[in-house]
Amino acid sequence: MLGMGDFYYKLGVQIIDVCLALKHRNGGLITLEELHQQVLKGRGKFAQDVSQDNLIRAMKKLKALGTGLGNIPVGDTYLIQSVPAELNMDHIVVLQLEEKNGYVIVSDIKASLKWEMEQAQQGLEHLLKEGLAWLDLQAPGEAHYWLPALFTDLYSQEIIAEEAREAVP
Amino acid sequence: MAMSFEWPWQYRFPPFFTLQPNVDTRQKQLGAWCSLVLSFCRLHKQSSMTVMEAQESPLFNNVKLQRKLPVESIQVVLEELRKKGNLEWLDKNKSSFLIMWRRPEEWGKLIYQWVSRSGQNNSVFTFYELTNGEDTEDEEFHGLDEATLLRALQALQQEHKAEIITVSDGRGVKFF
Repeated sequence: MLGMGDFYYKLGVQIIDVCLALKHRNGGLITLEELHQQVLKGRGKFAQDVSQDNLIRAMKKLKALGTGLGNIPVGDTYLIQSVPAELNMDHIVVLQLEEKNGYVIVSDIKASLKWEMEQAQQGLEHLLKEGLAWLDLQAPGEAHYWLPALFTDLYSQEIIAEEAREAVP
Repeated sequence: MAMSFEWPWQYRFPPFFTLQPNVDTRQKQLGAWCSLVLSFCRLHKQSSMTVMEAQESPLFNNVKLQRKLPVESIQVVLEELRKKGNLEWLDKNKSSFLIMWRRPEEWGKLIYQWVSRSGQNNSVFTFYELTNGEDTEDEEFHGLDEATLLRALQALQQEHKAEIITVSDGRGVKFF
């Protein structure tokens, strides 16, 4: 019989695998939902079922081992950070604004967070620099900053074997 | 017509159509664009294109998403493909180009392998025989467009594995 320790250990390894495979797409940021979906896909028919709580617990254990996977609360879920990007509170609140539509614009930041233009710009520039956000200059109105991690279209896609192979250094 | 083409996830991601300011992100973006262009042209059996055609093609213009890659950015993608050896400009003004989803050297290698395998070194073939003959029906290079074939054979010629010659009704090649 596999002990609980084994279960969480193996789950931890799976979580890291998924994060590594998708890192090149999302810059190392993934929603708990997508992580859950991808882990379930990887487990196959006969594996034990895994809940989001299981994932969170597995990640806590990984953290205890020194393998940091950051948790950023956004809306009523979490963004899991697998690459140690430099993110401070400013950046995190911007990420939280992105959660609604998958993108954010400067005006929203100014309105919701009451920041000045410069602070808003800097926050967004930083997300671009860390590879977590992409710039969209063809959106109606202002420039939109999108997070691949929140791009829900990605949820329905399999990690194509080729991509996974390419992603591992 | 073309079978249903599977667009990569980036094609539905609005920022994909804006050249990214961050250098690392841009590298990923250009890599994805290059792959997309080659897969698209391969599936649609398109071996050449004009820049004007490219601008309006669904390849660079995602009507549903209301995003299109601006022409300056298209030029950047095309230059990447040229550097990789998959693209050749057909005129000085850079208005039309040859697109080769396999580089000429790669095609040359495949053709030469077939020649050797079938024990036909020292044989002469017309261009037509190579791309449209019965004997090559199962080969990947069957149906290859002439411009790409020519470049593949030129690559072999450089390696002294072939010599392009003139035959009665066109061009041919002798393999060594």
